[in-house]
Amino acid sequence: MSNQRRNFLRSALAGAALLACASLPAHADTLADIQRNGTLRVAVPQDFPPFGSVGTDLKPQGYDIDTAALIARELGVKVELIPVTSTNRIPFLTTGKADLVISSLGKNAERELVIDFSDAYAPFFNGVFGPEDAAVATVADLDGKTVGVTRGSVEDLELSKIASDKVTIRRFEDNNATISAYLTGQVQFIATGNVVAAAVNDLTKLRRLSAKFLIKNSPCYVGVAKGQSALLTRVNEIIAKAKTDGSLEAVSQRWLKAPLPADL
Amino acid sequence: MAYQFDFAPVLAHTDLLLQGAAATLGLTAAGAVLGIALGVLGAICRAWRIQPFSAAFGVYVEAIRNTPFLVQLFFIFFGLPALGVKLSGWEASILAMVINLGAYSTEIIRAGIEATPHGQMEAAASLALNRAQTFVYVVLRPALARVWPALVSQVIIVMLGSAVCSQIAAEELTFAANFIQSRNFRAFETFFLATALYFAMALLVRQLLMRLGQRFIVGRPR
Amino acid sequence: MFVQFTTWDIVRNLLEGGKWTLALSLIAFVLGGTAGLLVLFLRMARNRVAQALAKGYIELFQGTPLLMQLFIVFFGLPLAGIDVSPWLAAALGLTLFTSAYLAEIWRGCVESVPRGQWEASASLALGFTQQMRHVILPQALRVAIAPTVGFSVQVVKGTAVTSIIGFTELTKTGSMLANATFQPFLVFGLVAAGYFALCYPLSLYAKSLERKFHVAR
Repeated sequence: MSNQRRNFLRSALAGAALLACASLPAHADTLADIQRNGTLRVAVPQDFPPFGSVGTDLKPQGYDIDTAALIARELGVKVELIPVTSTNRIPFLTTGKADLVISSLGKNAERELVIDFSDAYAPFFNGVFGPEDAAVATVADLDGKTVGVTRGSVEDLELSKIASDKVTIRRFEDNNATISAYLTGQVQFIATGNVVAAAVNDLTKLRRLSAKFLIKNSPCYVGVAKGQSALLTRVNEIIAKAKTDGSLEAVSQRWLKAPLPADL
Repeated sequence: MAYQFDFAPVLAHTDLLLQGAAATLGLTAAGAVLGIALGVLGAICRAWRIQPFSAAFGVYVEAIRNTPFLVQLFFIFFGLPALGVKLSGWEASILAMVINLGAYSTEIIRAGIEATPHGQMEAAASLALNRAQTFVYVVLRPALARVWPALVSQVIIVMLGSAVCSQIAAEELTFAANFIQSRNFRAFETFFLATALYFAMALLVRQLLMRLGQRFIVGRPR
Repeated sequence: MFVQFTTWDIVRNLLEGGKWTLALSLIAFVLGGTAGLLVLFLRMARNRVAQALAKGYIELFQGTPLLMQLFIVFFGLPLAGIDVSPWLAAALGLTLFTSAYLAEIWRGCVESVPRGQWEASASLALGFTQQMRHVILPQALRVAIAPTVGFSVQVVKGTAVTSIIGFTELTKTGSMLANATFQPFLVFGLVAAGYFALCYPLSLYAKSLERKFHVAR
């Protein structure tokens, strides 16, 4: 499409959306705002254990929430958690309603055009799980099978990359739907995190999840709005420090029941 | 640098959006035809108090109208397998839409039937129309003609409500939108285009159904 | 890692979410009703521009999903430099949605008032607003009550989509709990029961009003 036509489309569509202009009033420096307000606003998941789910008081908890608290502590400010879903997490960031997105984000080239990503802050041990007796050892064995996955999650991105066209991937709204689909036999396999599979096996004896193969360890990154280089640099410093002083290791042990990989 | 709109990454997936829109229209068509048929059946049982079906439809209507569509869909997709009925995402979506629209249209059409003056039935009898003719020409058609705009509105409500089917991985328009924005993070642009498509579809479906209604139900002499 | 929820924990949190559903429904109904009346006046006005505006408004907000309307209000306006709080966005979105439907329902009711009433009141030299206020609306009101209360059930269920802008109402609470407990049947069964408890009394009320109206006629 020619640049001119694209520009025309862009302005026509944006205009129709009743937008006075096609860009945000530039937030000069989010880091300075955070320090002035004394609050770090972080978009976190609440439907994606162990990274973010809720406790009995309905307050978010998990790896992502602990990471948010850790970053706020290092910045010397309070943390304000904004529970988000995979649908609205990026708009919260791009409209300046959140300062950071810590929502087990995986990265790809397209996504990097829209937001900036920090260094990796969490490992993600995903695998394909299924019935004990299913003979699946590699991704090639999934051909002709149906695999459930949570739409937009790291495992969705990674599985979509490696699976052939012959694999039917069913993408559900959240972990609950993905797991329910497996437990009720609506899908033959699911791709999910190790810890999630273990927790499901603890909670239900309906249809056990047995690990078939591991998907490449694909880490998670903190999302920062474009153009906030000061904030991005500061977040990267904090993550680097947390990796060496053991504080991120503690978070990993607590939520993933595994040590932080050395190559993260 | 502030957020820059860019529709190109979304327009690159135009095929997905259009497939999704077509799927939504397909779901709506199946849901509308079967749902209205179910509604006609229910309305007759209700209006003429044919027991025990009248009571059964009464419970069904209240159960469906007073609970969310999402829960009905979950029950069909995740609950029925326990009873040995395993439906695909599509089948479950269509069934949920039929059941949902069936309940609303039972009530809408019942109101139409009950508004038919009794004199009409007597007139039909005096014209020596048989039962089937009386039913079609004296009861059903005038009733449908009376409530057709309300039925059309309900079909559109069900079409917009079918967005929820994306939650059980039925790949309709909202699924396509969510899939695209999960890949390129252009949520605003994607939802804006999806909304425009929904709007166009709502206008199209309303026009089409009103015309069909005019042609086959309202237009003929009553 | 996974906290154990008792059934009471689930019920307690759902009740909390139910309060939000109730509050949002009330806002939608009060504001949507007021705006709906305004749209109705425009729709019935003799001015062609006003009619067309009202018609377009109704088509637009009936023809697009409420979820997307909320999304565009909450995330779209800030991109135009207007900051919108979740409450304002919810109030605005629900008002647009509710008023579009109510205006259309009420139009049907107003049109059910016999033409003679318009003509008679016009011959009394009443203006449009006076005609509506003193002659037409009081008569239309009797027909309007039942479908209006009936629509309120849809509004109660419609508030579920406010979770897109951060409200933790009944459905959202349910999905959070289902994801934390992996007990979807218990949780969503209770969610359905919650909506039923909120909506069924409204449905019954609408029915009894309908009956009363039929008798009165």
